[in-house]
Amino acid sequence: MAVCVAIIGKDNSPKYFCCLNPDEELGFQYKVLSSLDVVEEKLNTTNKGTNDLRELYLGMLYSLETHKIYGYVTNTKIKFIIVVDSTNMALRDNEIRSMFRKLHSEYADIVCNPFYIPGDAICSKSFDVNVKNIMTGTV
Amino acid sequence: MNGTAVEEGSVTDRRPLITCAGELEVFSTFEDSLFQALPQDSCEWRRSLGRPVRSVHIGANFAPFSALALPKGNQWDLIRQPLFHIYWTECTDVDLYKTTVRDDIENWLKELTSRDIPDFLIVVVENYDGKRTNKLLPRTTVLDKIRTDFAPKQGDRCISVINPGKVEARSADSWRGLVARVRHLLLVAYARAVSRLEDHIRQQRERRNEIGWNFMQYFQLQEELAHVLKMLGLHEEALVQYDELDALFSQFVVNGITGESINWLVDFQKPLEKWHGLKLNNSMVLSLSPSLLELRAYLFAKQAQMLLKANKVWEMASRCLPFLHLTTRELTVLEISAPPGAISCWLFLACMEVLRICDKFNSADAVEDYSLHTACLWAYASQKLRDLGELCGLMPGGAPTSEQLHTVVGLSAGMGDNPGAPDCPSPTDKLKEALCSQEAFNKTYLELAELAMCTYKHIGRLRSARLVGRQVASFYVLLGETQTAAAFLSDAVRTFEQDKWHELSAQTQIELAECYKKAKDTKKFIKTCANVAAALEIDTLIRWAYFDEMTKCLQLLDKPLVVPFNDIIKISSIALKSDAVVLQDGMITSELVIESNFPREILCTRVVISMELETKECRKNEKYSKNRTLTSKHFKPRDPLLQRLQIYRHLDHKQDKQLASASVVCKQPEQKRKDSVVAPPKSDFTYCLEIHNLPLVITPGVNVIRLNRQANSIGKYFLGQVALFMKNMHLISQPLTPRLAFEVREEAPVVRLHKTDAPLLSGFEQIMNLIITIGSYTVEPNSKIKLTSSRGLTFQTKPVEPLTTMLEIELGERAPFTSTRIPLRVLADLLTKDHQVSISCPWTNKPIVVKLSFTPPLTTTWRLHTVHHRKFLQINVTSQCDKDIYVEKPQLIVGEFCKIVDRNSNSSQIIPHGSSFSYMWELLATPSAQASTIKGEFSLVYSFDGIDGSKLYKYYFDINEYQTLYILEASVEPTKGSEFCRDGALCHLHLKITSVGHSLEQNNVPKSVMYEVLAEQSVWAVCGRTAGVVSFDSDSEPQTVVLDVMPLTSGFLPLPLVRISKYIPAETSDKSGKIDSHPRLEPFGQGQVYNNSKGKQVHVITGVSDGHIT
Repeated sequence: MAVCVAIIGKDNSPKYFCCLNPDEELGFQYKVLSSLDVVEEKLNTTNKGTNDLRELYLGMLYSLETHKIYGYVTNTKIKFIIVVDSTNMALRDNEIRSMFRKLHSEYADIVCNPFYIPGDAICSKSFDVNVKNIMTGTV
Repeated sequence: MNGTAVEEGSVTDRRPLITCAGELEVFSTFEDSLFQALPQDSCEWRRSLGRPVRSVHIGANFAPFSALALPKGNQWDLIRQPLFHIYWTECTDVDLYKTTVRDDIENWLKELTSRDIPDFLIVVVENYDGKRTNKLLPRTTVLDKIRTDFAPKQGDRCISVINPGKVEARSADSWRGLVARVRHLLLVAYARAVSRLEDHIRQQRERRNEIGWNFMQYFQLQEELAHVLKMLGLHEEALVQYDELDALFSQFVVNGITGESINWLVDFQKPLEKWHGLKLNNSMVLSLSPSLLELRAYLFAKQAQMLLKANKVWEMASRCLPFLHLTTRELTVLEISAPPGAISCWLFLACMEVLRICDKFNSADAVEDYSLHTACLWAYASQKLRDLGELCGLMPGGAPTSEQLHTVVGLSAGMGDNPGAPDCPSPTDKLKEALCSQEAFNKTYLELAELAMCTYKHIGRLRSARLVGRQVASFYVLLGETQTAAAFLSDAVRTFEQDKWHELSAQTQIELAECYKKAKDTKKFIKTCANVAAALEIDTLIRWAYFDEMTKCLQLLDKPLVVPFNDIIKISSIALKSDAVVLQDGMITSELVIESNFPREILCTRVVISMELETKECRKNEKYSKNRTLTSKHFKPRDPLLQRLQIYRHLDHKQDKQLASASVVCKQPEQKRKDSVVAPPKSDFTYCLEIHNLPLVITPGVNVIRLNRQANSIGKYFLGQVALFMKNMHLISQPLTPRLAFEVREEAPVVRLHKTDAPLLSGFEQIMNLIITIGSYTVEPNSKIKLTSSRGLTFQTKPVEPLTTMLEIELGERAPFTSTRIPLRVLADLLTKDHQVSISCPWTNKPIVVKLSFTPPLTTTWRLHTVHHRKFLQINVTSQCDKDIYVEKPQLIVGEFCKIVDRNSNSSQIIPHGSSFSYMWELLATPSAQASTIKGEFSLVYSFDGIDGSKLYKYYFDINEYQTLYILEASVEPTKGSEFCRDGALCHLHLKITSVGHSLEQNNVPKSVMYEVLAEQSVWAVCGRTAGVVSFDSDSEPQTVVLDVMPLTSGFLPLPLVRISKYIPAETSDKSGKIDSHPRLEPFGQGQVYNNSKGKQVHVITGVSDGHIT
């Protein structure tokens, strides 16, 4: 179960931010923002590699005492960030991966919506519901 | 040695034990050299289970053989027992061997085999001396004997060695052989022991869920393997052992909370009493029942050691933070109680220890590698120190209570003592010192935070650095150093803004505002308040509060304060409503749509858009908008990194113009460093579009504002910046790009001379219009326009005054953009056609020339008609003006020697435009030799509408060669035998030319006449001759010519046209006396030839081929 999900545009501005506990949102925003440093670092180093098929999943970006932050970058440099409570031992890498994959497909759906302008903040209610379901693992 | 005994040296020394039997005194001479030689070279270690072959260094300890100390072959802890057994003998005499040594070896070997120990070696030491060489080689040596007796199938178990005590080339060789053999056999034995140990560990691990299993016992067992691997130099494999232990323990803890309780875990759940700092040197010793912190620290220290041995400082640094997080998590999971702050102390010390170790490795590469991981350690350490500071009341602005002082004492006691060198204090020393006084604490905290920020910046993690900066800023606020705090906060705001994390930036702006408020920096406070008040992400109540603060502070401002628009005011669109070209004194109007993000209405004292004069160089550099409106689309900031790259084709040519290479070139403009704070350049707002009903209230949300200005100076302008003035706060936008440009022009006065629709007629006064249009500026009222006409043209503006050829008109007082029409009476002389009027104006040097062309009201043509000798004159009058012309009293005067007979009616006529009217007179001229030219004068009285005064129209003409000289008669007749002229049949054209003029006896009457048949080709075909010359000598007999013609169609056909001309033969001299070499033709004058058969027709019937006979 993730506690926070963020979608960040290619210009590093937040496009979507969702926390299970809205009171903690500001704190998570700081955490997610600083994780962008690591995302950039990883993207820069993997770019040097020769393999064309880049793994979208970046793995754990960094961990805090209380939380672990995972990253995923689409080919169009849209970043997905998932924050997980670090006491939650049940979540393994595979679960995180599958959460990212679901998130990616949700995002792809929202981008396909002709009324959504890519680059704008996402404010679709159904997207919100779907993401919350992904976070709580009910999907 | 049961594994729990903690003795320095025995723990780490895992070298195998070699026992020595036989003649020990021989061995003792080279025990030391063997001890040293063994680990010097590497040896391949082949291992079971398909693990890769490693090359290892193996050393050994030596002990005398003792049957009691021998292990059983199936013992698991072989590794700690004597592993390898060597029998030394110096016996070279076979007989001696047979008597004593052989039994001795046999006993020794029996002891070994009884315990299933296969690892032995028998060494025969040979001493070469002088006498040996003289003797014959013995048939069998002791070595051979031993080999056959004890190791018939394992030849390598027996070896002879030349006593290395004597330096000789041969002895060195044999020594090396011995060392290599020992090394190899030892490793074989050792490998067996290790694999037995591994098996045992595996077994033990399998039993981990059984009751009574103890982690610590297992820990020591596996650590033994780690020691072994470490001894062999396999640090990475040793690390794997520690990692396995680490993971196993973590798993137990996880299971401990989720599932069944584990007995031995209870040992770790004791309350913490000590939180000694982590030590990464070799002296780390694990107590029998360690606390969780001790166990974890020990494990990490071991891992760190292995990593350092493998020269992976960065990995050690990278493992530190996860290790600390894991430990804290386990502490909470296991509900281990600890005094407040103890954990923080421990974490801080651990961080500092790792950082201290990292600091020792200061080669550039290593620093580069580990900086990536130490940055967060610095941050973590500073965070922990701050936590401690808060706990112990050491934060600035407070003083520790006695209770807090007590806490400090307790924490310091728990840390234990770990004094470092005086010049480099240990982490424990540092922490203790920092907790002692506020001053030291401040210093230490700021130092750590600074290091964290620096390191973050160094590795390019700017955002993380900014977050630390925010922490530091809050610390500085407590310290009262608001300026420093503000610097950190505004850095953070800038970074957040760059990434467009508006909420974070807004939150930070609030902190910043508080900071400025404390610093009493009104200007910056107002700016920040404006930003906060306009931040949509923030709670409305907070925004209101800051908005009110801002308005309050505005009263205090005594100087203008420029605040950039940023997100406070957004320009939705800006449109120029007036034309792209505005005439001077015209209105420039624009419509500005802005969105105010202020939470309340604001009262603007002035709203302007600056107008900037365009200069040449800015025309080149700047982009211009194609249409008249800028919308929000245009204002979107563009990320230079997301711009399309400018890629061009690039061809390289060789000298011979051949293509050498083709490539594409990306002319990437240099990435300009984004300057951190670019205050919008404040343009000059003296010349600008404004609104006039001030003050203007701008409501939250969309506002449409119309601004205008009278264009009073000419030039090309563009809209510069938008500014809203709230008293002394000037909200100013960025320069508007692309530029909205317009031009202010002036218009010069214009004078035009217009005629009415009808064509100008000469000889008759008409009205033309002189139109004076005043342009965008006024003209001196007493300046004059001068009109000059060409000869024969006169004009006047005033209705009664006489017409003149030169006229001056005073302009008088006239407003701009007005035009006046002055009627101009114009009269051109009759019979003159082209005129021009030049107008000179005071505002230009060049006179304006207007070309006028006049036409006479009537045009006249005349014609002479002949009937034999009678002459008729037709005069045709055509009207040229669009009005009807009344004509009357036609009169013709031809002179005395000719009488005329009027054939016209006396009534007046109306000739409409374009029509003509003919008059006819008969000329009664007696044919005479002296027939001179008749001078004709035709006159007519005409008027328009019959009302105006009638005018006389006169027309003069001359009539020459009017006397009839020849009469021409033609007729077409069928050929003989035919009754009719038929289509397609040949006919005769009879031509009869009668000269009638010779009676005049004139010299100039030509005697030769040429005739030509000009038949229409579709009607007549002339067969044979078409032309000929006939001459009239003296006789007046008519000449007859017959020509053959053929009608081509049937019907009543006009006769073929025959033309006769004067034929002037060659060699006749004309009047000038010139002799012409060629005959020439001259046409007869009008009236000299009378064609009698003009208009005559012949009836041609259809040809016979039709089958009809008519």
